[in-house]
Amino acid sequence: MSAVNSIHPVSTSPAALTLRNVSKSFGEAHIIRGVDLELQRGERHAFIGPNGAGKSTLFHLISGNFKPSAGEILLGELPIGGLSPERINRMGLARSFQITNIFPRLSVFENLRLGVMQRFGMQYTLWRPISQYRKVTALAEQLLEQVRLVRHRDTLGGELSYSEQRSLEIGMTLASDPKVLLLDEPMAGMSREETDYTAELLRELSVGRSLMIVEHDMDVVFSLCDRISVLVYGQVVATGTPEEIRNNAQVQEAYLGKEVAA
Amino acid sequence: MEFFTVSLINGTIYGLLLFMVSAGLTLIFGMMGVLNFAHTSFYMVGAYLAYTLQTFIGFWPAVIIAPLIVGLLGVVVERWFLRRVHRYGHAHELLLTFGLSFIIAEIIKLFFGNYPVNYQVPASLSFAAFRLFGTDYPFYRLMMGLVSLLMFGLIYLLLSRTRIGIVVRSAIYRPAMAETLGHNVPLVFMGVFGVGAALAGLAGAIAGAFYTTNPNMALELGVLVFVVVVIGGLGSLEGAMLSSILIGLISSFAVGVDVSLADALDYVGAGQWARDLGGLMTLKVSSLAATIPFALMLLVLLVRPSGLMGEKE
Amino acid sequence: MNESTNKVLPGLPGSAAKMRPDVSPTVSATASPATSLRSPAAVSLASRLLMVSVLLLLLIAPFVLPQALVNAAIQMLIAALFATAFNVLAGQGGMLSFGHAAYFGIGAFATLHAMNALGGAGLLPTPLLPIFGALGGCLLGLVAGWFSTQRSGVYFSMITLALAELLHALAPHLTSVFGGEAGVSSMRMPAWGLSFGEPMHVYYLTLAWVLASLGALFFFTRTPLGRLTLGLRENAMRLKFLGYDVHAARVMVFMISASFAGVAGGLLAMNNEAGNYVLFDVRLSSEVVLNAYIGGTGVFFGPALGAAVMTFFGYAVSDLTRSWLLYQGLIFVVVMMFMPNGLSGVVLWWQRSQRSSAVLARYAAGWSLGALACAAAVVFSVELLQRVLGSDYQSQLVDAQPWPAITLFGRDWLPGAVSTWLLPLLLLVAGGLILNRVTRAWDALNEEEAA
Repeated sequence: MSAVNSIHPVSTSPAALTLRNVSKSFGEAHIIRGVDLELQRGERHAFIGPNGAGKSTLFHLISGNFKPSAGEILLGELPIGGLSPERINRMGLARSFQITNIFPRLSVFENLRLGVMQRFGMQYTLWRPISQYRKVTALAEQLLEQVRLVRHRDTLGGELSYSEQRSLEIGMTLASDPKVLLLDEPMAGMSREETDYTAELLRELSVGRSLMIVEHDMDVVFSLCDRISVLVYGQVVATGTPEEIRNNAQVQEAYLGKEVAA
Repeated sequence: MEFFTVSLINGTIYGLLLFMVSAGLTLIFGMMGVLNFAHTSFYMVGAYLAYTLQTFIGFWPAVIIAPLIVGLLGVVVERWFLRRVHRYGHAHELLLTFGLSFIIAEIIKLFFGNYPVNYQVPASLSFAAFRLFGTDYPFYRLMMGLVSLLMFGLIYLLLSRTRIGIVVRSAIYRPAMAETLGHNVPLVFMGVFGVGAALAGLAGAIAGAFYTTNPNMALELGVLVFVVVVIGGLGSLEGAMLSSILIGLISSFAVGVDVSLADALDYVGAGQWARDLGGLMTLKVSSLAATIPFALMLLVLLVRPSGLMGEKE
Repeated sequence: MNESTNKVLPGLPGSAAKMRPDVSPTVSATASPATSLRSPAAVSLASRLLMVSVLLLLLIAPFVLPQALVNAAIQMLIAALFATAFNVLAGQGGMLSFGHAAYFGIGAFATLHAMNALGGAGLLPTPLLPIFGALGGCLLGLVAGWFSTQRSGVYFSMITLALAELLHALAPHLTSVFGGEAGVSSMRMPAWGLSFGEPMHVYYLTLAWVLASLGALFFFTRTPLGRLTLGLRENAMRLKFLGYDVHAARVMVFMISASFAGVAGGLLAMNNEAGNYVLFDVRLSSEVVLNAYIGGTGVFFGPALGAAVMTFFGYAVSDLTRSWLLYQGLIFVVVMMFMPNGLSGVVLWWQRSQRSSAVLARYAAGWSLGALACAAAVVFSVELLQRVLGSDYQSQLVDAQPWPAITLFGRDWLPGAVSTWLLPLLLLVAGGLILNRVTRAWDALNEEEAA
């Protein structure tokens, strides 16, 4: 696959996330067919593409849910292809899910706290009550504020409205303080105001982190992201700045072609 | 040679019997995701019903009517009990069937006492089919196997060749889709449940006369049937047949094998050491015959939980 | 700081777990606001008072209760601990174990062997011996847990069942450990100035261990691992993506559950001074499941409540009727169908409802009346049937003669008479009608509110 198009100056530090010729097949179905990608440090990178292009599968590959059939995935300089999800998370990569994946019968605070707890390696502690770990509590409270769910501190996760759950989902992803964030359609189902707030939140929170986001909301994508990659049938057909992508003929074909076919 | 042949035939027939009971169970699990603890209770009820009815209407009518009644019982259980707790999740459904099996066993004890009843093979059927190595081989035993094969054939044909079969299969694999296409999926569920129960009842009606009919027969068979279903693959009819025969054969053969681990170690000269160790080493396979199915199930659950022929988890 | 405890979704009679239209289909919710007209302070005070009174009663029991009841109390305490230990795995961890008797039994045997060690003197002073129950349970729990937690859901349950059955089948053959048919027996040795020969000593020993264990288990729910256990139940998959080693966590929870089950087994062994392989029977595994779910697995003290109630009923009723097991099963099924969150769920429903106590009491009374009528009908029928079908009665029957009367509840009933059977039928119908009426009224009331 062609090298990545980039207006960014060539970075001397290693990329936050590197994919080299990554492929994934399920039997005869070739979902991902040779993807090359570099997520630069501090970059906000969007994935767009028609449904079924394989965006979620790619995330599953990176986060450890699936093992790549071929190719390499590197977090910084360390290979993570085929490692377990928990290892990858502890190495500094966290992801959110397209379908809300929270703890429904635990309170919002508890949801976030579980995410934070892991950072301190205390998950097997059974001799001290958790309330004594003030740092954990403080960090969970902080996350609560950041995702604007303070008033729902004690509400059960399953009782939140849909967009509130999406916010919680983002909060949980941030809880492990990752260097690389993968967000799978974080703003799906949100109102304009909520989307704007969340975009701003992501802008703040991704300072010092690298972000890869799958989104369909083009306004968000174009305003928030430094670069965009277009995934069609498991291949990256274009990568570049929002301007470049907007004017790219192949991309237009991919989208317009789909409309004509529909 | 005698031991081998007799065990082979006995084992196969026992396996076929297991199949009759486990067929319904595996289909129900594949369809509803519920492991019906009360399924072997249907087996027991079939036996007791047949026993009771036969004094009034004779053996054959009893053996035909008893499964029908059990089928009805199955329909009642699905419609009025399971459906109510469906919304609380699979664990709840499992527990409910568990409670129902309890109740059925106790009701049986209420009516018939806590000891075996004298359900016997009718005189007209207790003759020898042939002579094998100097002993008579009972015809009734062969008949049990034949009935089971017949049932397997019928169901297989029903599921694969008829329109009803296609609807049932689609309801098993894609209930939501089947409902969208206009099929009455709840009715299908009820039907499969009822037919599964009736099959178990038929197995009970026939086998109860040959083996013992007592209030613990559900429990005794119960765990074995689960083993069969898990090994064969939850939801797979062919898998159930395969593993039923397998378990039947193993049970039959193991009972006659008076060999222990220490005996095996004799071949490498470690026999005496093993015997001195005692405990597990000197246990004969025949004593452990009952545990082998469990060990197998454990193995399968850990290595290939979807079973020999089940779909991937 | 308001600590979140095990939350429970109360199952209101006749209402389904409502799905809010804007909630993702993978997450269900019930409308259960945290506020209620019974102030949290009042409720908390009431529950504290209740706990204190129960504690007091337990402490003075041997002095105010007859010996038979004290024995019953010992059984209740042991059953309560067993059920609570079970619930750590099932209710909190979301792993339904159908073979928990294995850890209970191992604990019993471990304790018995510890009692017999050193020529009968015991490896430790008598009051400390149940620790070996914990050890036995812990070790078996480690092995069994490591295997069974490789799978989840119904497969997990099947593995636990298979393991217990395996043990049950093997135990009679391993006579050096499990003592064959006769089992293993022992004797409590005096220690710390007490003979431990008196029932009172055994009672306080049991009470002390059960209270300490329950306290430890409650404390556990407050610890990081305890909170993680809930996460295992709610969404084990998500935990992986949060960096947790889910299998290791599951094994640890399994071990804790098994250890305390072992303590319960050890206490039983010390009480009976004997134990045999029957302790591994599926009956014991089923009983703890029944007890826990009848009590309610969503609340910490739920299973203990269920175990205490069912054990007590067993004690009280099993002398009066031979059909106790049938009633037990019926109660279980009724609870599963109409009170899915168990007895403690009913208590929580009361606490959390927004309606006044007067209104709730009215409905509760209505339901209780209906339930009582149905129960009376069932009990009457079962008891009558049991006597009619019993071998003694059957042998009295002479052909062509009317069936003799049966004495029940102080009156004579003729089983051949239609009027005899009309009574339970009418009771059943009446009970059913009352229940139906009350439930409809309740649903209507709720719909008014929702509208």
